[in-house]
Amino acid sequence: MIRRLFALPLLLGLFLIFAIALLDYQTLYQDSARVFYQTYGYLQTGSLNLVTAIYLDYRLLDTLFEAGILLIAVTGVSWIAQHDNVEHNPLFMLDRFKIPELFVSLARIIYPIVLLFGIYVVFNGHLAPGGGFQGGAILATALLILYYIDLKKKTNLQRIFTIEKWLYLLLVGISMISFFTRGVWFTNFIPLEGDLLLKSIFLITLNLIIGAKVALGLTAIFIAFLKEGR
Amino acid sequence: MEPLLTILVILIGIYGLISSETIIKSVFTATIVEAGVILLFLNLGAINGGVIPITDSVNLVIVDPIPQALMITTIVIGSTVTSLALILSIKVFHNNGSIAWKDITK
Repeated sequence: MIRRLFALPLLLGLFLIFAIALLDYQTLYQDSARVFYQTYGYLQTGSLNLVTAIYLDYRLLDTLFEAGILLIAVTGVSWIAQHDNVEHNPLFMLDRFKIPELFVSLARIIYPIVLLFGIYVVFNGHLAPGGGFQGGAILATALLILYYIDLKKKTNLQRIFTIEKWLYLLLVGISMISFFTRGVWFTNFIPLEGDLLLKSIFLITLNLIIGAKVALGLTAIFIAFLKEGR
Repeated sequence: MEPLLTILVILIGIYGLISSETIIKSVFTATIVEAGVILLFLNLGAINGGVIPITDSVNLVIVDPIPQALMITTIVIGSTVTSLALILSIKVFHNNGSIAWKDITK
């Protein structure tokens, strides 16, 4: 109770600090970076989608560390979730609620559509809204639908982790090629004056790797929870 | 005006972090804080009448793409860290038989 009484002045103070800090943000805001990306973003990276241009070209290092955090989190979840005692019913969470027949039939129809949609979003990440992260999340949803269709499905978690580690090494390796072709670490390996269509090869490759990584990571987390919920 | 509303969302989350009694509630309120931060960033980059940043024309007024690119990574990191916290709370429940803070911190 006394903690909640102290919370109110604290929250009020925090609100005042935030409000004062935000009073003049419109005068402090500079649009030079926005204008730069708008003017040169497509010409330098070959990506119509400027957000993709930023996170796959200008700030690729951020994306690499972010993918690393994803890998560490998935590894941590799998390490914490492992247990030696025999599982009496590993499908506890799924078959405790009897899954309706209608849901399974609809899932069978929806599954290929969602899979195709995810692949489309991953492939068109540099031309349309989407990209590796969003498409990977859609692909993970499709893989989870598969779990509802086939309750007895067995997944080798260890193989998923191995694939994910190799994908991360591949991601870092492909982003390092630019040092030998351009002389700069962690950017597009096609030279700056190169053809825009050639540059999009790099974007599609990286989007595919990130999409596969996110999809496998989210699926592995879900399966780890499924096995833990005995 | 809108940034102040997102700050209210953040403060609701902080109040939840202070007053929540179980681990699960703490994790969920942390995600509320994260949602508030995401909304705040997107608001600061938004421009009245701006279009989405998928263009190669210089004449259009687009919203700022930098906060959007930062927030994509934040969303993925947030979901994975939340899952890590939840599975840790499952482990705590198996070891202590309770997820209430006052039972754990005794």
